[in-house]
Amino acid sequence: MSLAIDLLIATGLVVLAWQALVGGSLFRGIVMFIVFGLTMALAWARLGSPDLAMAEAAIGAGVTGALLMIAYWRLRALGANRPAPRSPLRARVALGVGLLSAVLVAMIGLAAVGAIGPGGEAGQALAEALPATGLGNPITGVLVIFRNLDTLLEVAVLLAAYVASRAVMGDDKAALPLPPAQDAPLVGALVAVLAPLAVLVAIYLLKAGSQLPGGAFQAGAVLAAGGVLLMLAGRLHPAPLCGVGLRIALVAGTVVFSGVGLIMLALGQPLLAIPGTWAVYLIETAMMISIGATLVLLFAGSAGLTGTPRR
Amino acid sequence: MTVLLPAVVVFLLLNLVAGLWRVYTGPSAADRMLSALLFGSTTVAILLLLAQWQDSPALRVAALLFVMLAAITSIAFVAMVQGGAARRQPATRANGTKS
Amino acid sequence: MNALEGLAALLLVAGSSFFLAGTVGLLRFPDALSRLHALTKADNVGLLLICSGLGVLAGSLQTAGMLLLVWLLAMLAATVSAHLIAGRALADDTPELPGEQDDTP
Repeated sequence: MSLAIDLLIATGLVVLAWQALVGGSLFRGIVMFIVFGLTMALAWARLGSPDLAMAEAAIGAGVTGALLMIAYWRLRALGANRPAPRSPLRARVALGVGLLSAVLVAMIGLAAVGAIGPGGEAGQALAEALPATGLGNPITGVLVIFRNLDTLLEVAVLLAAYVASRAVMGDDKAALPLPPAQDAPLVGALVAVLAPLAVLVAIYLLKAGSQLPGGAFQAGAVLAAGGVLLMLAGRLHPAPLCGVGLRIALVAGTVVFSGVGLIMLALGQPLLAIPGTWAVYLIETAMMISIGATLVLLFAGSAGLTGTPRR
Repeated sequence: MTVLLPAVVVFLLLNLVAGLWRVYTGPSAADRMLSALLFGSTTVAILLLLAQWQDSPALRVAALLFVMLAAITSIAFVAMVQGGAARRQPATRANGTKS
Repeated sequence: MNALEGLAALLLVAGSSFFLAGTVGLLRFPDALSRLHALTKADNVGLLLICSGLGVLAGSLQTAGMLLLVWLLAMLAATVSAHLIAGRALADDTPELPGEQDDTP
């Protein structure tokens, strides 16, 4: 029976990925991609990775779906009369990139077949070292303590993505304002329930992340989903300037994470040594705020946010 | 129970496969969104069943996240339509009944 | 199988049948509004029955509360989504981008 479940999910994923990319209707591709995200969460659930199922749920349902919808709308608004140009050069490049990706996927697949599971050397070392940290969730342990340079760089990459989006968009090409939601009473009621709930759930995920599945990334994504909801409901608007509070939120993760690491270096410890569980919570909180703020700003495509619309 | 839970999961997955046909054929964008809505609740049901079957309570939290955020895509979908329509024909919503 | 497990099995099977009804309606009904009518059954009753069955099976008040919360939030999301999409289906006058398959109602 479990084989039937896995086969259905695996086949479904391949079919959905193909349908999301193949031509025909652009909107159909978007919906196929949304369903692909749902199925991917099921795949993570079957693979025993509830952390990733949560991340998929928060990012897929809260951010990417809305992002693709709004992108589709902007594409129409910009000029529905311009179908994408098709040149033979692009087709050849696409073919090359596709083949390269196929080779890469095949190599990763082969490596995965030969990989050592949780019983391997690294897994055992992790299981032995984890109790000393006071954390119960091995993923948080790896992310914040054992491989924390990677995580620090991931947070820095998000910051870089925001800077890059500013460079691409420029201030003159400020994001199109979103249209106000028409069915304001119903959407307003939804916002009244969901916005506080998103904050509550984000804090729960952050708190639970030390012992149970969850953590800063999932919590940040939920916060971002709350921000996206506020934008769609017309409570938050793109702004041409990034306020001081938002700037602090953007850099909080990078600054706090590297700050703790550097202080420990000054105290004679190794770089990025984590002094205790309180430091894990401190770093995760800062990371959550940065991830949430960056994702909302990337969704808005603007430098900052404001509660009152321009114009 | 060790048989029934996975059996229900397989049954719901088969439902999803059948529902894909509606996403594929449409014909309207609203039809495709409707199917996505049904897929969302089915996925939540499957996650809850898996949480019980695999004894993994964290999957219930994943299901909670899905239902909590499910409406966001729908709001974006409607915002998209209204914005797109308003841009070309500002007064189109005033008498916006089906043509 | 004791009585509680029997009750849970009954609820789960009943829930699945509502999901089946939703899918059949989605595939067979002639227009978007009828299809919406069909799938709300799966959304509301199907998920409620599955949550109830799992709550009986879990035998823990905390889990049952979590399942209830999931169902209540699903109701909220489904209500808003169905209302918005129905409004869109009624006022549907925007075809998709040219060069694509037609997406008019």
